[in-house]
Formats: sequence, structure tokens, C-alpha cells
Amino acid sequence: MLEGTASMSILYSVIPNVVLQAGEHLASQAASHAADQTATAQAASAHPPELPNFVHLLHEFFPDSSLFYNLWQIQDLVFIVIIIAVIAAFFSAATRKMSIIPRRLQCMVEMIVEGLLGVVCGILGEKNGRRYFPFLGSLFIFIICMNWFGLIPFMKSPSSNILVTASLAICVFIFVQFTAIKRLGIKGFFFHLMGEPRDAVGWAMVPLFLPLHILEEFIKPLSLACRLYGNVYGEDVLLGVGLVLGIGMVAVVWPGTFIGVPLHLPFVLLAILLSAIQALVFTLLASVYLSMVMPHEDHDDEH
Amino acid sequence: MEEQLATFLTSQGAYHIGIGLAAIGSGLGLGMAVSKAMEAMGRQPEAAGRIQTGMIIGAAFIEALTIYALISSFIRM
Repeated sequence: MLEGTASMSILYSVIPNVVLQAGEHLASQAASHAADQTATAQAASAHPPELPNFVHLLHEFFPDSSLFYNLWQIQDLVFIVIIIAVIAAFFSAATRKMSIIPRRLQCMVEMIVEGLLGVVCGILGEKNGRRYFPFLGSLFIFIICMNWFGLIPFMKSPSSNILVTASLAICVFIFVQFTAIKRLGIKGFFFHLMGEPRDAVGWAMVPLFLPLHILEEFIKPLSLACRLYGNVYGEDVLLGVGLVLGIGMVAVVWPGTFIGVPLHLPFVLLAILLSAIQALVFTLLASVYLSMVMPHEDHDDEH
Repeated sequence: MEEQLATFLTSQGAYHIGIGLAAIGSGLGLGMAVSKAMEAMGRQPEAAGRIQTGMIIGAAFIEALTIYALISSFIRM
């Protein structure tokens, strides 16, 4: 499949081997479907297809270069650095010359920040919402940029790696526990973990509730990390599968071609929406976990 | 028959069916949650923002169950 004229071979090498091999695999499977079903299914699913990114392509172009090999090994970090640079450049450009009557960029940033502030304040209350907004708001902006980055051609979503989402969830965990100890005090923190017993029945249930609450505190970040990772990685694999199917369909009819049908296009539109919702959900849940450890007199009137 | 069933259950196909079953449950739960939230919003349009926030959080918890099924199939790969 990879043989062709010189101009073709350049085009072939742009399409990553993963996709080409999977298309070839589909074509060969269609040609000889008498093979061992279980073995082929496992061989096909050994590497779930993913869209190509430029670090991977650099590694494919220069397989001998140790620099590109190392970059490929830490590709998520590379993309995180790019994303942070993009965010920092955008926001510093938007807030450079701030005026009472906002111009285009400043107006856009104000819209983003005010919308986020409204969401966070709706959960945490006006005072606490403004106090913890810098953390929660930057969490949202960072996550939504990470999720959307995978939809740009030759880029990858860093949040499709569980280590990235787990480190974000650990940040939330540490922030929430630190805030709890700061706001409730050490005694209040353990009282909160014991389920805030008020009468004899409450104190009798403490041996049951204390392990449950401690376990719950650790399950929260686990569930945050798994939710974001599963959604984003699932989306990426869905896009990759759509692409492979689009190439494989044409390859069955016309072997040796690199033209495909853009079957993944509807899923791209779905992914735009789902990425935004997942970023919102991560921020909302972080705010809810934070509101659970606030002292009660502060947020009783909000609910 | 039993041998075929055992082979199937240990193969990747069982995970696909498992994800489908999880998606059925999540779909039912999401449908109920969203329909109730819509009813509540229709009854009290002034509380729409707060209801929507609660609905999104609940939807995230429901939908996470399907995602766990998906992750377990990824890990199996």
C-alpha cells in the first residue's frame, strides 16, 4: 500500500502509519474474512486509533533523532506548554491596555470571566465565589483549551492522558482539603469528617461514617480524573475510528489510495460541545466540593 | 454452546456489549433527570439557572458510569 511514485510517497508519509495500517488491515480483513476472529479483533484493538499530532509526525519523519523521540515520549507536556503559552499570550494581549469602554479583546475576556464568575458564585455564594474564583476560573479555561486543542489538526488533547487529568484532580483535592483545614480549623475538619454529629445517635454512627467520609474524599478526585480522561480519550478514539473507517471504506473499493471519506466530521461537532461541557462539569464539581467544606453559616442562606 | 459463550465472555466483544448496557442505564437516568429539570424550569422560569447547574452536576454523575465502563474496556486493550 505504501509503494507509489515519489510525490505520492510524501503524501503517504503525512498520513500517519497508524491510520494507513488500520486501513490496510480493514481492506485485508474484507478480502480474507476466514481468519481467526478473536485474534484479529484483539490485533485491531491493541492500539486504539488516534488522530496524528505533529510531535508524532516529527518522530516518524526523523526516527533516528533522539530529540524528537524524547519529545514524542513527553508529547502531553509539549502540548501543555504550547497551550499555556497560547492562554498567557491571549490574556496578556487582552488586558494590556484596559479601558472603561472595553475594546474587542477586552470585551471578549470580560464576557468569559463574568460568565464564569456567575456560575461559580451561584454555587459558592457571592463572597466565597469571588474569593476562590482565580483557582476555579483558571481551571475551567485551562481544561477547555486542553480539550479543544485535540480538534485542531496535528494537535493532541493533553487531557486524553490520565496522568494529566489525575494531576489536575490532585490539585483540586489538595486545594479543597487545605481550604477545609483553613476555614474549619483542625477540630472542625475532623468534626466535618465525622459527619457533624449533633446528638447521641449521631455520635453512635461516627465509627461508621468516619471511614466512609475519608474514603469519599479520596474517591472524589479519582472520579474527577476518570471522568475527564474517559470523555476526552473516548472522543479522540471515536474521531480516530471514524477516520480509519473513512479511509478503509475507500481502500476496500480502490486499494492503494489515500483518499478517505470524512466520516469523523459529525463527531468533531459533537466533540466541540462535549469538551466544553466536560470542562464546565469539572469546574462545577470542584466548586461543589469546595462548597461542602465551607462553614455552614456562610452558605446556609444561599441554598 | 457453553464453550462458545465462555470464549465470547473473555473476548473483547463482551466489553462492547457491557458499554452498551451501561449506556442504556445512563440514557434512561439522563432522560429522567433532564425531563424533570425541564418540567421544573417550565414551572419556575426564574430559578432556571440554579436548576440547570444542578442538572448538569447530576448528569455528570450519571454519565460517569458509562465512562467507567469505557475506561475499563480501554484498560483491557
